[in-house]
Amino acid sequence: MPSGALLFQSILLGLLLGGLYALLASGLTLYFGIMRVVMIAHSAFLILAAYLAWYLHERAGIDPLLSMLVTVPLFFGAGVGLQRLLLTRLRPATLTMMSVLLTFAIALLIEGLLGYAFTGTQRRINLGYGSASLELFGARIAVVKLIAFGLAAVALTTLYLLMKRTRFGWALRATIQHRDAARLLGIDTERVAGYGFGIGLATAAIGGTALSLDTTIYPSLHWHWIGPLMAIIVVGGLGSVPGAAIAAMVLGMAQSLLQIPMGTTWAQTVFYVALFATLAFRPQGFFGGRLAQRF
Amino acid sequence: MLNASRYLKIGAIVLLAVAVLAFPSVAPNPYILSAGVLVLYYAALSTSWNFVGGFTGYISLGHGALAGLGAYGTGLLVAKGGLPPFLALFAGAAAVAALAVPIGFAALRVRGASFVIVSIALVLILLLVFQSWASVTGGSRGLVVPRPFDLTRPEHHRVFYYLFAGLVTVALLAWWLIDRSRFGLGLKSIREDEDKAEALGTATFAYKLIVFVVSAGFTALAGGLYALWFGDLDPVFQFSILTGSYLVLMALLGGVRQLFGPVAGAIIVGVALEYFKVEYGDTPLHLVATGLLLALVVLFMPDGILPAIGDLLKRFDRTKRSSIREVSAAELREQRLAEAKGAAR
Repeated sequence: MPSGALLFQSILLGLLLGGLYALLASGLTLYFGIMRVVMIAHSAFLILAAYLAWYLHERAGIDPLLSMLVTVPLFFGAGVGLQRLLLTRLRPATLTMMSVLLTFAIALLIEGLLGYAFTGTQRRINLGYGSASLELFGARIAVVKLIAFGLAAVALTTLYLLMKRTRFGWALRATIQHRDAARLLGIDTERVAGYGFGIGLATAAIGGTALSLDTTIYPSLHWHWIGPLMAIIVVGGLGSVPGAAIAAMVLGMAQSLLQIPMGTTWAQTVFYVALFATLAFRPQGFFGGRLAQRF
Repeated sequence: MLNASRYLKIGAIVLLAVAVLAFPSVAPNPYILSAGVLVLYYAALSTSWNFVGGFTGYISLGHGALAGLGAYGTGLLVAKGGLPPFLALFAGAAAVAALAVPIGFAALRVRGASFVIVSIALVLILLLVFQSWASVTGGSRGLVVPRPFDLTRPEHHRVFYYLFAGLVTVALLAWWLIDRSRFGLGLKSIREDEDKAEALGTATFAYKLIVFVVSAGFTALAGGLYALWFGDLDPVFQFSILTGSYLVLMALLGGVRQLFGPVAGAIIVGVALEYFKVEYGDTPLHLVATGLLLALVVLFMPDGILPAIGDLLKRFDRTKRSSIREVSAAELREQRLAEAKGAAR
């Protein structure tokens, strides 16, 4: 039986991890909601953002948090470009399938180019506050994890407000709900979809920066992320943002708690177990989603 | 009724068969011969993949993992179970086919993108298990599979070259038979419109499951044969998403609706992969090349090159329309409308 302090620490860490998962999965649900696109390259962009943060810190001494001033607009632009230039070229009938292969190809490109530019060596940002930690009722929480969670919380709140309170958000949600009806109402769905894609990729820029704070990064790291993230959006129900957030929290917590008896590697299997259990018992996802089975 | 294009087709097949059979005799050195074995291995895998991908339209990125399971199944039965190699090969493949039933049962309940996600998850989870469960699988140290024959290296390559060629032939024959059967028709109806197929009384789920199991069995046979040939297994290579994506790339590039599409794709991509390995060694540029190739195929040639060549040939032979051409519902409707107009006149 683990001690109370260890349990408490694991719960806190699970919460923090869940927040980061929620941020990253929200991008994936956006793409899927808007265009029925499963973006395999999302986690590759995540690692790309982490590398950019590392590179700017290494070369110019810029704090990773400031590097977002560069990466977020850059990724937004890349997302708009990706949707406009590549995804719209695919045939509508096979869009979902082919988009998986296309974004898979992009992921390979990013991984290969990162490996070529920075070699396969593992990299880590050395921050002044990197090893600092807080004591909270006997639990030790690294400051960088708190910062990462803070970033996720701010980004998700902004996303929520954007979706609920702005005209653009309404247009985006209308596009997600019913593309043709939205177009009839005079919404330029093509443009909205492009910007929606950009926002999704911008969340990857923020997530990647949060990741770079306390993770050792290497080019093929994105494979370790894609599995859990995909599991989260399937469990949450494809296309459902709240579903993804809940699933992220639950699974992040489960992973953190299972690490005590099982160790880090085997604890990872919780995502896949959840994925297969979801498919076996409730293919449309456990929370909210209703699109999943058809796509 | 034999017309020019039919003769051309038969001629091409005979030519291909002769070229494949003669290759070991003309290969200048054992390395080229081993590259030939690898290309045939890929051809066997992508043809096996095409049972699911070509007939039902379900794109699996996880077939690399099924091949890995076949390889490890065969390897473990030989190395730890002491079974004779070729008995182990078939026992391993049968075990993988049996395992494919529950996997398919879960994965085939969802369509399109969800199915692709599940197939990726399959690779990732098996990689995790085979790396961590070192007491059985050897983990990252690898698993050494004893060789089935006591032969010199070139002779060993030559024997396995013909074994793989045999496997490819059997797989092609099975694909061809399904293609012409009622079962194949049901599978293709799933590809065109699953809901309508189901409404018309096709047992879509059973059809999908059966073809998935067949595909898994062939994939595992290819993987097991690879284990016996190569003799050394490593989870990182056996359970790699990259292998799965190579298969998809090969099949798409060649043409998933064609019998010889995956083989053509395997020859092109397999040769390109070997070339990249020689030229760029261990640099990650082979990833870039694979990614670029995949993106180009998806964007500009989603039907594959065999249909593209077929269209080119058709230009020279306007008099005859190929009778086994597959038409989409929209094309059929247009054709009928045109006929009806003609009849009315």
